Amino acid sequence: MSKTSFTVAVLVSVGRNPVSGAGRACRGDAVAMALGRKIAGDALRVVHAGVPYDAALNDYLAHGAGTVEAVACGSPDDIVPVLATALENVDLILTGSRTEYGNGSGLVPYALAAALDRSVIANVLDAGVDGNDVRITQFLPKGQRRLIAGHLPAILSVHPRAPFHLTYAHARRQSGRIVPVTVTPAAANNFGSTAPDWVISPQTHQPIPLKADVKMTAHERLQSAIAQEAKGGLVVIEGSCVDKAQVMVAYLRDNQLIDF
Amino acid sequence: MSDIRRLDPRRTYQLNPGGIRRIVLGDVATVDSGAPTFRQAQQSKQKPFRVRTATDRWLMAVAHANRGKLDSHARQAIAAAAILAAPSEGVVAIVLGELTEDAASTGADHVIVLPDLDAAAYQPERVLAAVRDQIEMYNAKHVFIPDRIGSDGDLGRRLIVAMRAPSATGVVELNAKSVSIAWSRGSERGVAALPRIVMLEAGAVDANLPFAGAAERVESASRPGADDNKAAFRDLGIESTGGKQIPLEEADFVVAAGNGVFNIATFKALASALGATVGASRVAVDDGRFARDQQVGASGKTVQATAYIAIGISGAVQHLQGIKECRHVIAVNRDVSAPIVKRADLTIIGDAEEVMQAVLAQVKATVDLRNKTGGA
Repeated sequence: MSKTSFTVAVLVSVGRNPVSGAGRACRGDAVAMALGRKIAGDALRVVHAGVPYDAALNDYLAHGAGTVEAVACGSPDDIVPVLATALENVDLILTGSRTEYGNGSGLVPYALAAALDRSVIANVLDAGVDGNDVRITQFLPKGQRRLIAGHLPAILSVHPRAPFHLTYAHARRQSGRIVPVTVTPAAANNFGSTAPDWVISPQTHQPIPLKADVKMTAHERLQSAIAQEAKGGLVVIEGSCVDKAQVMVAYLRDNQLIDF
Repeated sequence: MSDIRRLDPRRTYQLNPGGIRRIVLGDVATVDSGAPTFRQAQQSKQKPFRVRTATDRWLMAVAHANRGKLDSHARQAIAAAAILAAPSEGVVAIVLGELTEDAASTGADHVIVLPDLDAAAYQPERVLAAVRDQIEMYNAKHVFIPDRIGSDGDLGRRLIVAMRAPSATGVVELNAKSVSIAWSRGSERGVAALPRIVMLEAGAVDANLPFAGAAERVESASRPGADDNKAAFRDLGIESTGGKQIPLEEADFVVAAGNGVFNIATFKALASALGATVGASRVAVDDGRFARDQQVGASGKTVQATAYIAIGISGAVQHLQGIKECRHVIAVNRDVSAPIVKRADLTIIGDAEEVMQAVLAQVKATVDLRNKTGGA
């Protein structure tokens, strides 16, 4: 399994416990790392862009990373150019779908793909590499899965519900290392213009949905206060069982709920 | 007997165009018996069009259609454009995939349907190029896209990167000037000026509009390019995992049994013939007819299926709570006054076992016929 002619890297970020706010491994990234370890074994490169050392990165060591490369990165806008330089020669790059800390826009894999001129595939549940070919199972809503085939190089963003069991080993946490790496980004890969200037404030109220201004007359206001919404659909009482079944199948077919 | 003239308060009346009941004195004979009732007039009342002057600028919403219809999240994106549009601005909706319903209630002035770009096929580059063409052609001031897993979320992010446009994803609150997002997964709030590309979380907009759009179908001037083989990744098709393996919360088609279902074998045969996931009401689970993890409702699971068939389920509030987000609810019940009848889009009154057998027979007949003709 680790006999690979291609290189695989996974991007990991510092996560955040939703209750305590403490740093931890980002769950989605840990799942992506599990997929990476399935594909490349110990040859998997685990790369973090941000501060040179964060205690939360130790969690990735416990989840199986031998070494975490911590690429120093000044501002969040620099992440993509720095990573594009650091991962230029990597064939397969895996990422989680969204970070737990900060904006969480999920744009990094797309921006990185644009910077490196590669294909990006989102919501990957499983992937296998055979020589130069990649086969991917993609998550679709409503219990559907899509199979996609292509070739390296590629960037895959992994769905957080990818079926991998995360193991935690304290011994690996102790034996693994976090290696600081310095990269000078090429100026051409500048991708920072799309993020607006966010002003961060504490969460004070539930979001209020945008509503259209409604100018109602007094009579309309009264009606909306007292009128009951029309409830219920078609009720079929008469007819034999076969007729009723026909109505039901016709309803399913009319609404394209069955395809026969 | 006093000689005060008495009026019958229930005397026949006329409806004025606003749907208000008017008793016209001395004019009883002219009332048309075929005139709509008060309730009908209220329901069929046409919403006025949004106030529009000559349009020079456009706001755009882009969304995938699902089975020929726009779902609530897609409608919210179009509604956001319609609410934020000034009178001099038009609203154009780009619908990817076939659209069989009327889009006037969404508030869109122009509707561009691109039927061959639906979510069933994996063709991100082609969709991106087509949508980008439209944005540039209309020179859209703002573009609203539903931020959801799958088709729209992927398309929006590709657009943001390809256009290098100011953008916000996961927007939970917006107004004419600013957008808010959940920062660090909701522990804080990030606020910024309204950017060009806005990806909306579900529920950020109320899609009930007091006005309608013209919903003029516009043929796309630029046809989406043919499916070139340039794409690095190709689609090998969608694999349905089969009703049994799909978890109830994720299932698109659920058949649920309640107290009125005694023959579990028929019920399971029906579920597998329709390719549906099996659910159950609390009574059926308590009886031991179904496993606990198949329970739908307040103390069980909440389902988001497009189609939900409730067989022998009366529909207690706790159960209805679990199927709140289902699009099409079909009920089979003996009791016409059961609460589920009010919720269901189609109710079949009859014996559960007989109706199930009849539906099963019909489904089998259709499938057999298809197999025969398909094999010939």
